[in-house]
Amino acid sequence: MQNANGSTAGSSSASGEASAPLRNSKRPKYSRFTQQELPACKPILTPRWVISVFTLIGIIFVPIGLAALAASNKVVEIVYRYDDDCVPPNMVNMKVAYIQNDTIDKTCTKTLKVPKHMSQPIYVYYQLDNFYQNHRRYVKSRNDAQLRKASEANETSGCDPERTANGAPIVPCGLIAWSLFNDTYSFAIRNRNLTVNKKDISWKSDRDHKFGKDVYPRNFQNSTLRGGAKLNLTKPLSEQEDLIVWMRTAALPTFRKLYGRIEQDLVINDAITVQLQNNYNTYSFSGKKTLVLSTSSWIGGKNDFLGIAYLTVGGLCFFLAVAFTIVYLVKPRKLGDPSYLSWNRNPAGH
Amino acid sequence: MDGKGWERVRMARLGGSSASRGREAAQLRQVSSQTVRLGRVQPQAPSHRTIYCNDREANLLARFKVCGHIIYGVSIPRICWHLSYFFCKILIYLVALLLFQVNSVSTTKYNILTFLPKGLFEQFRRVANLYFLMISILSTTPISPVSPVTNVVPLSLVLLVSLIKEAFEDWKRFQNDIAINSTPVDVLQGENWETVSWRKLQVGDIIRTANLDGETNLKIRKALERTWDYVFPEKASEFKGEIQCEQPNNSLYTFTGNLIVENQTLPLSPNQILLRGCSLRNTVHIVGAVIFTGHETKVMMNSMSVPSKRSTLERKLDKLILTLFGGLFFMCLIGAIGSGVFINRKYYYLGLFEDVEQQFNPSNRFVVSILTMFTLITLYSTIIPISLYVSIEMIKFIQCAQFINKDLRMYHAETNTPALARTSNLNEELGQVEYIFSDKTGTLTRNLMEFFKCSIGGVSYGVGITEIERGQAQREGRALNEIQKSDTVVYEKGFNFDDDRIMRGAWRNERDPEIFKEFFRCLALCHTVLPEGDESPEKIVYQAASPDEAALVTAAKHFGFFFYRRTPTTVQLRESHVEKMGNIQDVSYEILNVLEFNSTRKRQSVVCRYPNGRLVLYCKGADNVIYERLAGTNQDIKRLTREHLEQFGSSGLRTLCLAYRDLTIDTYENWNEKFVQAKSSLRDREKKLDEVAEMIEKDLILIGSTAIEDKLQEGVPDCIDTLSRAGIKIWVLTGDKMETAINIAYACNLINNDMKQLIITSETDAIREAEEKGDPVEISRVIRDSVSHDLKRCLEEAQQDLHIFGQKLALVIDGKCLMYALDPSFRVDLLKLSLNCSSVVCCRVSPLQKAQVTSLVKKGARRITLSIGDGANDVSMIQAAHVGVGISGLEGMQAVMASDFAIAQFRFLKDLLLVHGRWSYIRLCKVITYFFYKNLTFTLTQFWFTFHTGFSGQRFYDDWFQSLYNVIFTALPVIILGLFDKDVSASLAKKYPQLYKEGIRNTYFKWAVVGVWAFFAFYQSLIFYYFTTTASENGHNSSGKIFGLWDVSTMAFTCVVITVNLRLLMACNSITRWHHLSISGSILAWFVFIFIYSGVMTPNDRQENVYFTIYVLMSTFYFYLTLLLVPIVALFGDFLYLGLQRWFFPYNYQIVQEIHRDEVDSISRTEFLEIGNHLTPDEARSYAIAQLPREKSKHTGFAFDSPGYESFFASQAGVYVPQKAWDVARRASVRSSKRTSQR
Repeated sequence: MQNANGSTAGSSSASGEASAPLRNSKRPKYSRFTQQELPACKPILTPRWVISVFTLIGIIFVPIGLAALAASNKVVEIVYRYDDDCVPPNMVNMKVAYIQNDTIDKTCTKTLKVPKHMSQPIYVYYQLDNFYQNHRRYVKSRNDAQLRKASEANETSGCDPERTANGAPIVPCGLIAWSLFNDTYSFAIRNRNLTVNKKDISWKSDRDHKFGKDVYPRNFQNSTLRGGAKLNLTKPLSEQEDLIVWMRTAALPTFRKLYGRIEQDLVINDAITVQLQNNYNTYSFSGKKTLVLSTSSWIGGKNDFLGIAYLTVGGLCFFLAVAFTIVYLVKPRKLGDPSYLSWNRNPAGH
Repeated sequence: MDGKGWERVRMARLGGSSASRGREAAQLRQVSSQTVRLGRVQPQAPSHRTIYCNDREANLLARFKVCGHIIYGVSIPRICWHLSYFFCKILIYLVALLLFQVNSVSTTKYNILTFLPKGLFEQFRRVANLYFLMISILSTTPISPVSPVTNVVPLSLVLLVSLIKEAFEDWKRFQNDIAINSTPVDVLQGENWETVSWRKLQVGDIIRTANLDGETNLKIRKALERTWDYVFPEKASEFKGEIQCEQPNNSLYTFTGNLIVENQTLPLSPNQILLRGCSLRNTVHIVGAVIFTGHETKVMMNSMSVPSKRSTLERKLDKLILTLFGGLFFMCLIGAIGSGVFINRKYYYLGLFEDVEQQFNPSNRFVVSILTMFTLITLYSTIIPISLYVSIEMIKFIQCAQFINKDLRMYHAETNTPALARTSNLNEELGQVEYIFSDKTGTLTRNLMEFFKCSIGGVSYGVGITEIERGQAQREGRALNEIQKSDTVVYEKGFNFDDDRIMRGAWRNERDPEIFKEFFRCLALCHTVLPEGDESPEKIVYQAASPDEAALVTAAKHFGFFFYRRTPTTVQLRESHVEKMGNIQDVSYEILNVLEFNSTRKRQSVVCRYPNGRLVLYCKGADNVIYERLAGTNQDIKRLTREHLEQFGSSGLRTLCLAYRDLTIDTYENWNEKFVQAKSSLRDREKKLDEVAEMIEKDLILIGSTAIEDKLQEGVPDCIDTLSRAGIKIWVLTGDKMETAINIAYACNLINNDMKQLIITSETDAIREAEEKGDPVEISRVIRDSVSHDLKRCLEEAQQDLHIFGQKLALVIDGKCLMYALDPSFRVDLLKLSLNCSSVVCCRVSPLQKAQVTSLVKKGARRITLSIGDGANDVSMIQAAHVGVGISGLEGMQAVMASDFAIAQFRFLKDLLLVHGRWSYIRLCKVITYFFYKNLTFTLTQFWFTFHTGFSGQRFYDDWFQSLYNVIFTALPVIILGLFDKDVSASLAKKYPQLYKEGIRNTYFKWAVVGVWAFFAFYQSLIFYYFTTTASENGHNSSGKIFGLWDVSTMAFTCVVITVNLRLLMACNSITRWHHLSISGSILAWFVFIFIYSGVMTPNDRQENVYFTIYVLMSTFYFYLTLLLVPIVALFGDFLYLGLQRWFFPYNYQIVQEIHRDEVDSISRTEFLEIGNHLTPDEARSYAIAQLPREKSKHTGFAFDSPGYESFFASQAGVYVPQKAWDVARRASVRSSKRTSQR
């Protein structure tokens, strides 16, 4: 009945006095909103703007790129892949058998040369390749509540297939904890051991909030199938930093994890003797294991990507700015030239 | 409940079977106390119903019995809604029976109980919502990589918003209903009037009302003589009667029924019926009985169905969504195959032991693939933009309610009518219209008939120059010497005439004053006009069947023959002609017979007796009809008048010929006998009357002719010119004669001399010859051949002219030929021909043909069509077109009720199409493509991640990121864009109508456009994924610590949110502070969210994936460097594209923007404020005219054609003429064939 209602007003105003045409009016009220006259800025992407934006990006990006690249270049990195090297020559063709054989001593000693002066702290990373820490089955196989609180020890939901062993819940449960990396490294230089500081290798927030101070490993790695490292049953999880680092699952199948810190400068051409315990099985899925010693800069570890990206983009922008300027000078487009309108270009058709 | 009522009901239903009556009644009396049970009532549909006036009890039962289903099905829930009775069912039934508020009308869709189930059902009828419901269900299963929250939250938010909108709209309807239902009305209770609210009315009540609001057609309604006395409560309370009437139906112009008072059966016709929503004129109040209430009223039964149309853009959008589904399937397929290949026991750390669940069981890779498929569907569900539909709906709703309805440019001050968008889903369709089908009368022309010229005794009078003449002169480049009108010139509605030779009594000095007298008397006597109001020349108001008639009577008044009173047998004139100036004399002419107008006669006559006994027949009618019946004398006048008729015709004036004949008493008496016989005959009365009339309407003497101007609506030529420059082709579909139609087409710029006219007409000699023979088979064959031949010829000419000479073409075709041309065998040719023409005029077409032509173009050419009209005969055309526009503000609601948009003036089409339509279209295209882009980008980042997770379907983002992405972080800016984006200002859009062509060609929503967006979505997603992940390798600050998956994904998500929002900013043509607010608000919302979300630990079962990630990220340079780099690199491509596109291949609108880049919007606030506040003198005059009481319905085409009239005069004469079925189509088709001719 909206319309019937509407015409009421209409007819009543029509029958009203002519001197009062505005009374009872259905005239819409003026507002900038309803008349679509809101104040607005109307940017027009003119060639001049294009050129200046490109120039501006170039001006900003190139220095940043240079700085980032310089920072990245300052980082000294020793990368050593040892998974193949540490297999005894006679077992090269049966690597899986080798790694799964507990009776074989997995110690492996190698020497690395320091290419440049490395000032402390020197970070020790291990890097795994082709290891899908981000696999769906893997990522979800943990229970945060259990890790956080001792009272939730029985909470193992989501931890399949590593929930219980011998009828009791596993703490920490789940595939992630179960497959904890268990290669160990020790370093010596000129026959003097280098201390590897394993404190504070995990993010503080993880230590303080995600892993409980009163949660102790229990029933861990007790099942028939042993996955990876065992945990010190006397230390609470919040102090088991290897576990904490491991459990911050990596985004990509190739990842580095912090192993520890060497808090001492290394001089160029120093020979570091690394004693590796090559325990971790990456052979069955042809994963690589790499040991990395790296210094850091403000930008972090060695990563040229950001620097190169900034430089490339900045350079490209400069190039485009120059190219467009040339085009602009050679064949300028007159702004707002009516002859560009399609109906002026081709008056007959569309 | 006593049995008395029952009995009467039964009696009434059984009708006359008196034999069984007594027994039946007795039976009923017995069982009535038991049978009055709710469960036993069977819905019945008897052919009529009985209403007891002034007897509530009886009616209650009658209604209850007869319309039990209505009480059950409709009324009760409504009552409970209105009165908020939340009792149990039985109580409600009781309440219903006690109060019986059946006149309450509900236009609401829901009530409080049905809102949720019904509303949800409506929502899930949408594929997108249903899809998300399924995804949500799927995500509760273990195969889902995401928690249910990911899909449930956006779905529920979307549903919530939709439901709130529904509820809001329903609430408004409800408010409206309440307002209407509580209108006070006086009901007779005992012997007093009691004021009750409208909703409490019930059938049979005697009411007194002064305020039945609504339809504004002035119709004459007259009570039966028998009931004239019952006006006072004391008397009215005595009234007892039965009304037997038809069942409720939606036909507004028919009603059959009888009033039975004291065993006397009186027939009831539409003349005695007041429809719900009528307003009263010329009387303070009426007393009546209620026949239909609530939803059974004719008006309500008419207003129920609003045609629902879907816009073309939305249909195209469906295709896009379908493509997205295809893309989704493709992505899932790749992932599924990958997962089957990847899964392997060698990844021992995944714990794929023998008893692993099926989804990861390497021994059955096929099952793994299938299940992963489902996993990925859940994961990639974001590719389907869930909030798209609700956003579009909101945008369109606001566009309608705030922009279209409140646009001052489309407000018509004279009729106090703003524009009205009746449907909110066709806004963007307005931006793509290529064909406009327009009615003529009332749409292009004002239907304001003004007496403009006349030819009396072979001399042409009237100095005015019509628009058409002016236009012609302009085209031919000759100057018109306009005669300055004298100062004393009279202006009145219907009279725009000036000629010193005959005005102010000067005609007495002309050569033959006698013929002038005949002329003026003919005007003053031969009509069916009713005078109203004060009997003074200044104040009298003529109520006429058509404005033509009123104009003629008004003209007579100005010439000194003032018609001031009509009695059933006489017409009284105040004549000021006699001998000396200033001598006024009242003369009473006895009207002996009225030979009414009808479509076959095309003339109207009266026989009248002068006070001195002279018997004269005055006749006026179409030229050819009158000329056939002229006596063979006075060839000079005939020749001169015919010349004048042609002149008038070519000036676009409507003409009538006037003639008279003196009768001898014998001739008359003889004839009158036959007439009375014919009039009282029961069979073929109409035919017989025609035959009798034929006998006396002969040997007429021609007096002269009148010419009435059918004024063009304001701004029509300019509007049509603008629209055709916008690439819109305008077709005029009219019932007029070809000459009139062509004239009007010329006048409004539709056809000009540069165009070649292709004419297909049935007015050829061959056809005429065939028609004279009268063999219908032969006629149809001849016309068919001629049409076929004409079509071929025109098509050839068209091809040649259009393609070789580039000449514009105009096609003129008449209804008869159109009938054959619409035949399937010629349809293709017709379509081909008409599509080549820039304008088409179809004359003498019926409403059905109007609709057929519309759908021919709509379906055959697959172009967007718009129909505009004002009358009932345009309804079918309005409904057939993609967009229907009704002209509102004047009388008649039919077209408006059927339309999608209602505007007051044809010229407002310019604003509606070029401004609102165009903006809507551009905005919605942007909104849709942007939605497509943002969801594709987001989903593709997920997709790339899938390749690095062993195709396991691991999610990249946290559940809440994903679930809030669409509904919070990217929701508002796109709506702002959809509301405020403006490429060029309204005035520029009208200044450069060619810009509209981009909409016709669908420039902004082509697959190429979507492709470009898809390409950039692809590019950006690669940037997001690979840049953030690659840059995240290794340590990130001097502590050497490494990021995990969630750190990287939070980083990536931050980049996505920022980029996607900035991309929107780049798509904007005008940036208001709302843009700033919403875009920065969205980005800020993300940061606020992530600060809180990653900062707290919640006790419930949540994976603490993103705990502290943002703080960890923000402690590194990586975060800031990436945050600067990634969005810029991602937008680099878009920026380059936009820059190059504008530089080298600019759109037209971009050029226009550049031309006017330094101008402030030309329309200023003050200019707006003036709209409707100050009237120009011209407007003031129209306004004053509009203030006068309204004229008869403009649905009525020809001067004398009105359904009410015949019966009115008949009943005056005491003869009851049963009302014919007079439905809309017939009425309109009659109209199209009854036009005054000009020859």
